[in-house]
Amino acid sequence: MIEIEQLTKQFGDLRAVDAISLTVPAGEFFVILGPNAAGKTTTIKVMAGLMKPTSGSVRICGFDGATDPLEARRRLAYVPDFPFLYDKLTPAEFFRFTGKLFGMEDAAMEAEAGRLAKRFHLGEFLAKPIESLSHGTKQRVAIVSALMHAPEVVVLDEPMVGLDPQHARVLKDILREQADAGVTVFVSTHQLSVAEEMADRIGIMHQGRLVAVGSHGELQAANRDSRLESIFLSLTKDGV
Amino acid sequence: MNGAKPIPHWRLLAGVNRTQNWRRLRSAVARSRLHAFLMGLFVVGYAWLAYALFHKALNFTSSFPGLGPVLIERMMFLLFAFLFLLLLLSNVIINFTNLFRNREAQFLLSLPVPHQSIYRWKIFESGILASWAFLFLIAPLVAAYGATHNAAWHFYVVTPLFVALFVVLPGILGSWAALGLARWVDRVAFRVAAVLSVIVLIVVASSWLQPETVTDEMLETRVLDVVDRLLARTRFSLFPFLPSYWVSSGVTQWVEGALMGTLFFGLVLLSHTLFFGYLASTRSGGFFYGALSAVNSRGAGAAAGQALGQAPFAPRLLDRLAKLLWWGRADARALLVKDIRTFLRDATQWGQSLILLGLLIAYIVNLRHFSHRLTSDFWIDLTSYLNLGACALNLATLTTRFVFPQISLEGKRIWIIGMAPLGLRRTLMAKFLFCTAVSMAVTMALVGASCAMLSIPAERVVFFTLTIGVMAFTLNALAVGLGAVYPNFREDNPSKIVSGFGGTLCLVLSFLYIVGMLSLMAVTSRWAFGGNSAAVFWLGWALFLSGSFLLGWLPMRAGIRKMASVEI
Repeated sequence: MIEIEQLTKQFGDLRAVDAISLTVPAGEFFVILGPNAAGKTTTIKVMAGLMKPTSGSVRICGFDGATDPLEARRRLAYVPDFPFLYDKLTPAEFFRFTGKLFGMEDAAMEAEAGRLAKRFHLGEFLAKPIESLSHGTKQRVAIVSALMHAPEVVVLDEPMVGLDPQHARVLKDILREQADAGVTVFVSTHQLSVAEEMADRIGIMHQGRLVAVGSHGELQAANRDSRLESIFLSLTKDGV
Repeated sequence: MNGAKPIPHWRLLAGVNRTQNWRRLRSAVARSRLHAFLMGLFVVGYAWLAYALFHKALNFTSSFPGLGPVLIERMMFLLFAFLFLLLLLSNVIINFTNLFRNREAQFLLSLPVPHQSIYRWKIFESGILASWAFLFLIAPLVAAYGATHNAAWHFYVVTPLFVALFVVLPGILGSWAALGLARWVDRVAFRVAAVLSVIVLIVVASSWLQPETVTDEMLETRVLDVVDRLLARTRFSLFPFLPSYWVSSGVTQWVEGALMGTLFFGLVLLSHTLFFGYLASTRSGGFFYGALSAVNSRGAGAAAGQALGQAPFAPRLLDRLAKLLWWGRADARALLVKDIRTFLRDATQWGQSLILLGLLIAYIVNLRHFSHRLTSDFWIDLTSYLNLGACALNLATLTTRFVFPQISLEGKRIWIIGMAPLGLRRTLMAKFLFCTAVSMAVTMALVGASCAMLSIPAERVVFFTLTIGVMAFTLNALAVGLGAVYPNFREDNPSKIVSGFGGTLCLVLSFLYIVGMLSLMAVTSRWAFGGNSAAVFWLGWALFLSGSFLLGWLPMRAGIRKMASVEI
């Protein structure tokens, strides 16, 4: 579960996130949309503990990211838009390293990483140096390393960038399964089709504020429009 | 699933980074065995040559009865005092980059790794990066010191232990300074502080290094008084609260057999290292997270023109200045403006240039004290050639550090200029001409000023100024040419680009060129060291010019060819 209360983040004179409040319950697939510089990535970075909020709070499974960061991050899987990987390690070594950081036993780590790697067709790359992999393959490695410790909350920033349609499908399926199993999934994307197809609820951010939240149907009803694209454009027209 | 016995984060991070670095080293050796061989040769050659020279110098100094041991001991105190300052500065810079501009640190922050563990790992890593080169440089001197005093084998065991304890302190203090800078000093304040610091450094160095008037009569009758006055300005190194004082005292007393004294200073050092080490490794993590959050939360800041209310596309000062180069084409001028802006907005780049320039200015300002003391022609000639050498070596450092990586720094953006009508060949030439013009103007002015400080006759001032001008041409051509022949488009960090094979080759060739040409110029000089005929002098100049031209032209030609065939 993710609980965001009156979250504000200021960069000098710029208010990137402006007093947003949102609760994403366990088992929900939440997609956040918004034009560039709407404040999506900043919100996610505060959720991941990369920066302190100027005011307000973020709780992951009841643990405040500012006062109890370790417990919050233990339950979180976070993949940034440009994930960091140790370029001289192989994916297998990288999975072992992140598994140890999460306190996983070797057998559990091998089983879970192996299962996810198989679904993402990473088998042939597991023993190759990460630096030799393509952008999309590195993205798949980062996703597997984040998901393998059985997180309670998954936060992904632009996860589809670099993935081919086949692996984008795999990721969508896995995230849906996670949500169905009770995991909170929070995804930021520019692909409206992902939101339409996958999201239980959709949030639209614009100029640091959460201007709309609801299921696809609720957004359609509230805006008297059937297409998510036109709803999105009408709600964010100043920033496009 | 989470029932495994937890492995300390420290061990995990050390293990993964050890594997990374070992593989990096192995792949570097596999990629270029010649590079690895040259690096190995340089390491062994430096250690051997430095040890031999230091040993000879220390033996010579110790041959003065009474005076020698005093001078040598003070030199050890000075060595460690300056080492402390340099380590402190180096740790501030490296800790700042490693804590706040490092992707691994950001990655670890999103994992269940305590802030304290990340901070502890990063200051350990920074301490090693900041210290190893300095320790490598002073090791031959300390070894020569032990050999001069016929120290027993255990001196060579105890001294590294002392030094290992010692380097922890500037490491921790440097990391705390970096935390403070990150937490409270924004970009503009940092720029102002850096420029002011260099100005203060120059003023302090100029006023502090004043000459002492010593007459022949004083040298004959009051030697101790003269020595005392000469050493007065080095007394700061004897300040008992400086960690360098503890390590120097420990090392010098051990070599003299005063073991209790060594034990005392060893314990002082150990207690401070443990105390500050404890604070750093258990109490600074929260502050690190606060500082990192402050850095990440800082606004990008408005560009200068926007702050003044100008339209975003309105030409700024640099654009207007570039128009003064009316003979250059617009695209080449745009490239220069882009390069200058990139340089000025990279604090690491201009900060290092500022430090080098500050040291050079402090050196030249202090040359004026030299000229009053030099009465023999031999010493005047020697000093003037050494002065030329110092300026040329400084220039070589600048060209290798800042000019060589120019093409590589285009990196993933190389397609922009590669696909533009400007083309890579003209890009190379534009960078070469610009860097040469700037470095020629600066070095010719500095050499002219330093010659004036040494009160050298006008014709020799012209000679030395022209010589450094030619050297600027060659060293820049060498750096630009080799930078194009050995580009590294995958790396964004100029320090790492320079440390590759091409950078090492550039530095070695630059140094060999300077030493060779300086020797040639001195040997064929018309006035120095006995003087030569006009024919020998002009022959020397012809060899210098042709050698300089070849060493500049050949790499440039190879660079242009490489650029013509580079795959973007």
